[in-house]
Amino acid sequence: MTIKVDKVLDAKGLACPMPIVKTKRAMDELISGQVVEVLSTDKGSLADMQGWTKNTGHQYLGTITEGDVLKHYIRKANPNELKEEMTYPHTVSNEELLQMVESNAEITIVDVREPAEYRFNRIPHAVSIPIGELENRMNELNTEQHIHVICHTGHRSDMACQMLADQGFKNVTNVKEGMSVWTGPTDKN
Amino acid sequence: MSTKVAIIASNGGLFDAYKVFNIATASAATDAEVGIFFTFEGLNLIHKQAHQQLPLAEGKEHFAEGFKNANVPAIPELVSMAQELGVKIIACQMTMDVMNLTKEDFIDGIEVGGAVTFLDFAKDANITLSF
Repeated sequence: MTIKVDKVLDAKGLACPMPIVKTKRAMDELISGQVVEVLSTDKGSLADMQGWTKNTGHQYLGTITEGDVLKHYIRKANPNELKEEMTYPHTVSNEELLQMVESNAEITIVDVREPAEYRFNRIPHAVSIPIGELENRMNELNTEQHIHVICHTGHRSDMACQMLADQGFKNVTNVKEGMSVWTGPTDKN
Repeated sequence: MSTKVAIIASNGGLFDAYKVFNIATASAATDAEVGIFFTFEGLNLIHKQAHQQLPLAEGKEHFAEGFKNANVPAIPELVSMAQELGVKIIACQMTMDVMNLTKEDFIDGIEVGGAVTFLDFAKDANITLSF
């Protein structure tokens, strides 16, 4: 299965520290929120990528192993994600959403993060519509449905809620904390 | 504030060079501020000619093939990468005087200083390493 990404970096055959140095350079060329896939045959890169993201503030999404090749997925951090004000008025906390999920409430969860983020960590049955595709894919949703929109920290979903409300969706709620601190059940792969 | 890494390089073999430059480039690529103080035999690692063919330790010559197979970058490549990433390279003036070397004997883009130059950089470092 291929995951849609913004850039693929081929670091196969390269020894430490080259995968990290090349990843840093690739990241410098991306804009915030974009996802890079790093191909590496250096087994040490699995721990290195995680350590690197922890220290640089970027978001490590996960790694897929295919034969000798490790495919790492990293999303470039957005320093504004934590500063921007959320403006959409209807919100719930993760805790409230979790209660609805556990009681099998009639809700639709729309996950507006990038495909690679969704791939490695998502709420079961959440629908993936990356925010960049939302405008063209709104017809997949019903304007009468109760829709909960989630992302990593509540900011992309805030924007998505506003977009949906503007297009006549009547019952849209932003999950204001997001997957970064989600403690409920998750699926991956 | 970013992590600050201060390294002293005082040995001049190929292994020493990899230890120094791998940590330095990896740190710099992880947004750390890195400074290396080259002293005594460590000066080989930035000497214009010497750093291009650093010796393997006696009895370890067979590792040359391993380096090739593992596709490890050559030292000059790592050095220029370190410089591109902003690693600060300081050559020890006192050792240079002892060895009768001038700044022109070394790769471009280095600084020359005494022990205090390094101490000034290292005094608030989060990580200090000596190779």
